Amino acid sequence: MSEPRPADLEVSAPKPAFWRNLSFVWAVPVLALVVSLGIAWQNIANRGVLIEITFPSASGLVAGESTVRYREVAIGKVEQVTFTPDLAKVLVRARIDRDVAPFLDEDARFWVVSPKVSARGITGLSTVLSGVYIEGAWDQEPGTQTFAFQGGDGPPLVQPGREGKRITLLTHDGSLISEGAPVFFHGIEVGRLEKPRLTVSSDAIIVDAFIEAPHDRRLTTATRFWDTSGFEVSLSGAGLSVNFDSLASLVSGGVEFDALYEGGRAIGPGHVFNVYADEAEARKSLVTRTSSATVTIAAEFGESVSGLEAGAEVRYGGLQVGEVTAISARVQDTDQGPVVRLMANLAIDPERLGLPAGSGEAETLDFFEAAVEKGLRARLGTTSLFNAALVVELVEMPEADPARFDRAADPAPVIPSVKSDLPDFTATAQGVFERINALPVEELIDQAIRTMASIEAVASSDGVRSAPDAVVALLEDARALVNDEATRALPGELRATVADLRAALQELKDGGAVANLASALEQADTIASNLSESSAEFPALVADLRAVAQKANALKAEDLVAAATRVLDSADKVIDSDAARELPPALNGALDEVRATLSELREGGAVENANATMASARDAADAVARATERLPELSDRLNQLVSRAEGLLSAYGQRSEFNDETLAALREVRTAARAVAQLARAIERNPNSLLTGR
Amino acid sequence: MEDARGTPAILTARRAGLVGCTRCGRVHSPRESTCRRCGSALTSRDGASLQRVWAWLMAGMIAYVPAMTFPMLMTTTLGQQQENTIVGGAIHLFDEGSYFVALIVFVASVLIPISKFIAIGYLALSVRSSVVIRGHGRQRLYHVVEFIGRWSMIDVFVVAILSSLVRFGFTATITPGIAALSFALSVAFTMLSAQSFDPRMIWDAYEDDDT
Repeated sequence: MSEPRPADLEVSAPKPAFWRNLSFVWAVPVLALVVSLGIAWQNIANRGVLIEITFPSASGLVAGESTVRYREVAIGKVEQVTFTPDLAKVLVRARIDRDVAPFLDEDARFWVVSPKVSARGITGLSTVLSGVYIEGAWDQEPGTQTFAFQGGDGPPLVQPGREGKRITLLTHDGSLISEGAPVFFHGIEVGRLEKPRLTVSSDAIIVDAFIEAPHDRRLTTATRFWDTSGFEVSLSGAGLSVNFDSLASLVSGGVEFDALYEGGRAIGPGHVFNVYADEAEARKSLVTRTSSATVTIAAEFGESVSGLEAGAEVRYGGLQVGEVTAISARVQDTDQGPVVRLMANLAIDPERLGLPAGSGEAETLDFFEAAVEKGLRARLGTTSLFNAALVVELVEMPEADPARFDRAADPAPVIPSVKSDLPDFTATAQGVFERINALPVEELIDQAIRTMASIEAVASSDGVRSAPDAVVALLEDARALVNDEATRALPGELRATVADLRAALQELKDGGAVANLASALEQADTIASNLSESSAEFPALVADLRAVAQKANALKAEDLVAAATRVLDSADKVIDSDAARELPPALNGALDEVRATLSELREGGAVENANATMASARDAADAVARATERLPELSDRLNQLVSRAEGLLSAYGQRSEFNDETLAALREVRTAARAVAQLARAIERNPNSLLTGR
Repeated sequence: MEDARGTPAILTARRAGLVGCTRCGRVHSPRESTCRRCGSALTSRDGASLQRVWAWLMAGMIAYVPAMTFPMLMTTTLGQQQENTIVGGAIHLFDEGSYFVALIVFVASVLIPISKFIAIGYLALSVRSSVVIRGHGRQRLYHVVEFIGRWSMIDVFVVAILSSLVRFGFTATITPGIAALSFALSVAFTMLSAQSFDPRMIWDAYEDDDT
C-alpha cells in the first residue's frame, strides 16, 4: 500500500545543561528568602533581653502593653504577667533593649509607677492616661548582668546611680518617723528616710537615710540630727510659739540636721547618727557626745544638792562648759567624825572653757589648779527663778578661804566648793522686815485717834474759852511738829524708799533676775500690810478732825478760845508725849532699815535664790495697791479739813497773830496733805511698775 | 483523561505544524520567531514556564511567612502602642463580635493565598505527572486562580487607606508594619506565578494519548 517510510528520525536536542536551562526568575525566591531571613534574624537579634521581675502584686500591668522605662523613656515591654510557681508573687517577664541590658546588674531596681496621692504630693499622674508602667533605675556602670529582679511597690528612696551619702540614724521613737519622711537641712529637703526597723538586739530603731549630693558634704562628725515631726508648742518668756517644718513632716514625720560646731571630720558612708528629740536636746548633747575630749573632775558640796541632776549644766561665767555626769554621796572622816559629802562629777569640755584646741586632760587640770589658787570655786546656783533645778557654777572668789585643787583625788580631781549664799540673803531680808513689822505704828494711830476724840470732847464742852496765847503756843508746837525735820522728811523718806525700791528693781531686772524684785516685794508686803491697816484708821481720824472743825465753826469765839485753850493744852501734852515725838524717828529708822536692806540687796548682787518669795511679793504689791486706794481719800479729807479750817478762821477776819499762826499751820498741813497725795500717786504707780518693770 | 479519551482527536496547532500567538491568536509557521501581527514572541511550548511558575510561587510563599508573623498594623492610641498581626487582628475582630469583617479578613488574607499556593502547585505538578482532575477542571481552576489573584490585595488596600487616614498624632495613629509589604509582595509573586503558567501544557498530555 503505502511505500515504506523510514522511521521518523528520533531527533532529540542535546539535553541542555541544568544550569544553562535555569531561569533567571529563580533569583526572585532566593532574594525573597534572603530578605526574609535577614528581617527575621534582625528581629531576633534586636529582640532584647528577657528579664524576670517579681512583684508583690501587678496592679495594672498588662502583658504586651505595659512598658518598662528608664528615666521616663521606654526601654522595653512587658511580655508576660504570671505567677511564681508557689503563687506567692507575680512574675513579670519583660524584654529590655539590648543596649540597655548590660547595665542591669544586681543593684538595678524596678517598681510599678501608678498614680499616688500622698502628703508629699501627687506622683505618677501621667499613668492615668498611658497606663501603669514599670520604672527602673540603675547606676551608670555596666556590671554582671542579671536577669531576675525583685520589684518594689514604689520608687526606692535611694535610686541607684544618684549621688549622695547613705547614713544610718538611731532613734528610740519610731512612731514619729515613717518611710519616705523628709530629711531637712535648714528647712530644705535634702534627703529621705527609708523604712524604719527595729534592731535585733534592743528596742532601738534604726532607719537608713539618703542625703543627696551635694548636701551630703554637710554631714560631718559635728552633725546632729533631731526630730521635727509633728509640731512643737513652746511657752517661754517670748510668748507662745507653735512650730512645724512642713506639712509633709507634720504628716509623715521628718528629721533635721545641722552642724552644731565647726571643724567636724568628714564621715564615711553608713555612719550612725543619733536622732534627738528636738534641737535643744541635740545642742545640749554636744558636750557629752564629744566625750572623747572632755575632762572629768568632781566637786564636793556640803549642802543639799536637791535639784541638781545628771545632765545639769556646768557654767563658767554664764557659759556652759560642761555638764554634770553623776551625783553621788560619800562619807568622809573629819575631825568631827564622819561627814557625808555630796559629790558631783563634772565633764568639762576644755575647748568650751577657752583652752586651745586639742588641749588634753593635763592642760585642763593645770588650768584648774592655777585657777583654784586664784579663787576658782564650784558653787550651786539656780537656773532660773521658776524652777528649782540647780546648776554648778564655777565662780571666782578671790576672798574665799584658800583651798587646793585636789588633783590626786580618786576617782576624779576634786575642785573645792563654796556654800551658795542665796539662802542667807533671804534670812536677813526677812529679819529687816520683821523689825519694821514690830514698829508701834498701830499704837501711835490709836493714840492719835484717842487724842482727837478728847479734842472733840473738849471742843464740844461749854467751857471752851478764848485762850489765844495757849492757841498760839499750841499752834507753834503743832508747827514745830510739822516743821520738824523728821516729820517733813517722812514723805521724802517714803519717796526715797520707793525710788530706792525702784532703782533696786531696775538693777535686779538688769541683772536678769526678777527674783530680787520678788524678795523686795515680799518685804514690802509686810510694810504695806501695816500701812494699809494704819491708813484704814486715817479716815476715822479725819472724820474726828472734821467734827472738831464743825463744832469749832459753830462756837462763839470766846467759848471756842476757852475750850481750845484746854484742848490745846491737852493736845500739847499729847504732842509733847514721848510716843508722838518718837514716831518720826521711829519711822525714819524703819525706812532707813528698808533702805539699808535695799542697798544690801543691791550690793550683795546675790539675786538668784529669791524666787521662793515671789508669790508673797505679789500679795504685797496687791496690799500696797489696796492701801493706796485710800490715800487719795485721806488727802482729799485733809484738803477739806484745811478749807473748813480756813473758813472758820476767815470768820475771825482780822489778821491777828492767831490768825496768821493758824493760816501758817494750815499751809503746813496742806503741804503735808499734798505730800501725802504725791506719795499716794507714787505708790499707786509703783505696784504696777514693780510687777511689770516699766 | 477518561473524558479526553472519549473525545474525538482534535487537531492542535502543534500537530498541524503551526504556532499560535498567545496574545492575538494568529497562527504562524514554526519558523517564525515573532508574531507578524502583534510582534510578541512565538513559542510552541514555553520550556521555562514551569520553572518560572515554581520560582515565583516559592518567592510568594517565602514572602508570605513574614506577612503572617510580623505585625501588619501598628496602632498608637493615647500613647499606647498596639501591634497586630493579620491573624491576630482577625481573632481580635472576632472576639469583639465583628464576625463578618473577621471572616473577610481571614478569607482574603489566609484562605485565598494559601489556596492559591496549593492550586498553582497542583497545576504545575499535574503537567508532568498523573493527575486526578480532568483537563477542563484544571483549566477552570487556572482561570479562577488568575482571576482571584488581584483580590488578595484587599488587605493591603485596607492598611494603606487606614494608615493614610488615621493620623491624629497622639490620639490615634496607624502605621503599616513589615507584614503589609511582605503580604503585598507575596500576592504579587503569586500572581506572577499564575501568569507564568502556560495553560496549553494542561492539554499536551491528552495530545500524547491521541498520537
